[in-house]
Amino acid sequence: MSKIVVLGAGISGHVAASHLRRKLSKKHEIVVVSPNSNYQWIPSNIWVGIGRMKPEKILFPLAPLYKKKGINYKQAKAVSFFPEGDKDETKPYVLSEYVVGEKKGQQEKVTYDYLINATGPKLNFEATEGLIPGQNKTYSVCTYTHADHAWQGLNKVIQQMKEGKKAKILIGTGHAKATCQGAAFEYILNVEQELRRHKVRDMAEITWISNEYQLGDFGMDGMLMSYGSMTMKSSEMVEMIFEDRDIKWILGAGVNKIEDGLAHYENLEGEIKTESFDFAMLIPSFSGHGFKAYDKNNNDITEKLFKGFMIVDADYTVKPYEEWSVQDWPETYQNPTYKNIFAPGIAFAPPHTISKPRQSKNGTDIFPAPPRTGMPSGITAKLVADNIIDSIKKGEESLHHKGSMGNMGAACIASAGYGMTQGSGISITTYPIVPDYYKYPKTQGRKLGKTFGEIGLAGHWLKLALHHAFMYKAKMKPFWWLIPE
Amino acid sequence: MTQRISKYQRFKMMNPILQFFKFIYLSIKIMIIVAGGHGGTRKTNH
Ligand SMILES: Cc1cc2nc3c(=O)[nH]c(=O)nc-3n(C[C@H](O)[C@H](O)[C@H](O)COP(=O)(O)OP(=O)(O)OC[C@H]3O[C@@H](n4cnc5c(N)ncnc54)[C@H](O)[C@@H]3O)c2cc1C
Repeated sequence: MSKIVVLGAGISGHVAASHLRRKLSKKHEIVVVSPNSNYQWIPSNIWVGIGRMKPEKILFPLAPLYKKKGINYKQAKAVSFFPEGDKDETKPYVLSEYVVGEKKGQQEKVTYDYLINATGPKLNFEATEGLIPGQNKTYSVCTYTHADHAWQGLNKVIQQMKEGKKAKILIGTGHAKATCQGAAFEYILNVEQELRRHKVRDMAEITWISNEYQLGDFGMDGMLMSYGSMTMKSSEMVEMIFEDRDIKWILGAGVNKIEDGLAHYENLEGEIKTESFDFAMLIPSFSGHGFKAYDKNNNDITEKLFKGFMIVDADYTVKPYEEWSVQDWPETYQNPTYKNIFAPGIAFAPPHTISKPRQSKNGTDIFPAPPRTGMPSGITAKLVADNIIDSIKKGEESLHHKGSMGNMGAACIASAGYGMTQGSGISITTYPIVPDYYKYPKTQGRKLGKTFGEIGLAGHWLKLALHHAFMYKAKMKPFWWLIPE
Repeated sequence: MTQRISKYQRFKMMNPILQFFKFIYLSIKIMIIVAGGHGGTRKTNH
């Protein structure tokens, strides 16, 4: 019998745990260690942040589901890694600390045969002075509680506008190297539409602030895409949408400090500037969780497991942008030193960014970190689970399932406004996620046709349909596994 | 010059009947891209 421990119950942890449970007999133990008692479908936080969806609609408690399915659940957080065990414990383990109940504060050595680290990112608000969700008029939509607070903040400003007070709204990235521009993009369009619905649009000035060099970079170096019968750059598409919605933009901006209603930033020109606001939603930088690792003699071996995020089968050789290739990106998400440890989703350390690195004239790095969206997070988690299942069944290491972001498509349905008849969505697919300039040299590394954009009401319906489909799948209802990642 | 969204384009974007067909088309197209699979890059490319 094998024991597989999954750290984290977000998109990738939950996908891995549910596939492992479905495909492995009950003699094998699946353990999930995660501090949040709920599963949350993060993409729908956007609608919580505009007050059009209640947080309850995007979450459900994990404990009853895991009990029913035979998954052992510990509401705890991983603290440190002991991949060789220690003097008293011969098996590898993760030191975990319970976060609720009678055992709160107690630590436990959770031993494993295979470990899946799916702890996602740490929302690193501390990296930007004064960027604290719910303070200084700044908010976040990265969790359902943050998104709910954001709606309260936005609603307050809407009520003030109804009373005749003009407002400035700032949405984008809150750090020079933040990622997740897509989420901020969705939020700015949803906020704009809600202001129109509340009939206060003319009272607000809405501004996009981002560390991107060009609009539509999305941390993916932008893309060339098919749009109707045209071929268009993502920068042109986003510019068209922002012009249409009367949204202003500030690019190449590394926000470094927030004060009450003020965002201080440096731009690529090296200018130090300030933008004022009455409501801001700024995505923080994402970082690793700062885990430590030790060998059996208690020597610190953190650098064998972590490089901020977890080290996997990527090529981490430092090289210039011009020499980057899709082969740098991992395929199996296996740690090269401890081969029974894997890190899918956001938890793995990328070899480098996807967007071109840029520095301001003062030498400050200002460019997006690479995004790992829901679809690749789910796909990489499933392939990690499949490789573990094969290895257990064959009794030897099997790594047949591979999925590089350089050979994987992603669909991103960005909500651009809520409503069954008035809603809108921007459906963008990209293939591959990491541009392959060798295969597709003339189309900016992407395959046209498989990289396309569409704007319209259908996009909203699609996003809503995906919300329901993925909640159904996450609840492991009948035939859930037929719904692809 | 920035491409603008014309009135006709907007009508097409928001017309529920046209968008219903677009919804079916997009769902199938996205499924094909997703079901198109994924794989490694290291042995196939060079
Ligand atoms: C507002 C927003 C909107 C988004 N919209 C989209 C979208 O429309 N489409 C899309 O494809 N993607 C979207 N994304 C991205 C998507 O949410 C992420 O790609 C995805 O959540 C990553 O999954 P993950 O499992 O790697 O990490 P997470 O979902 O962050 O999960 C991490 C898990 O680890 C747990 N954890 C944390 N610390 C510990 C610890 N010490 N020990 C154990 N467990 C721990 C957490 O509680 C959580 O359960 C959006 C993201 C945001 C923030």
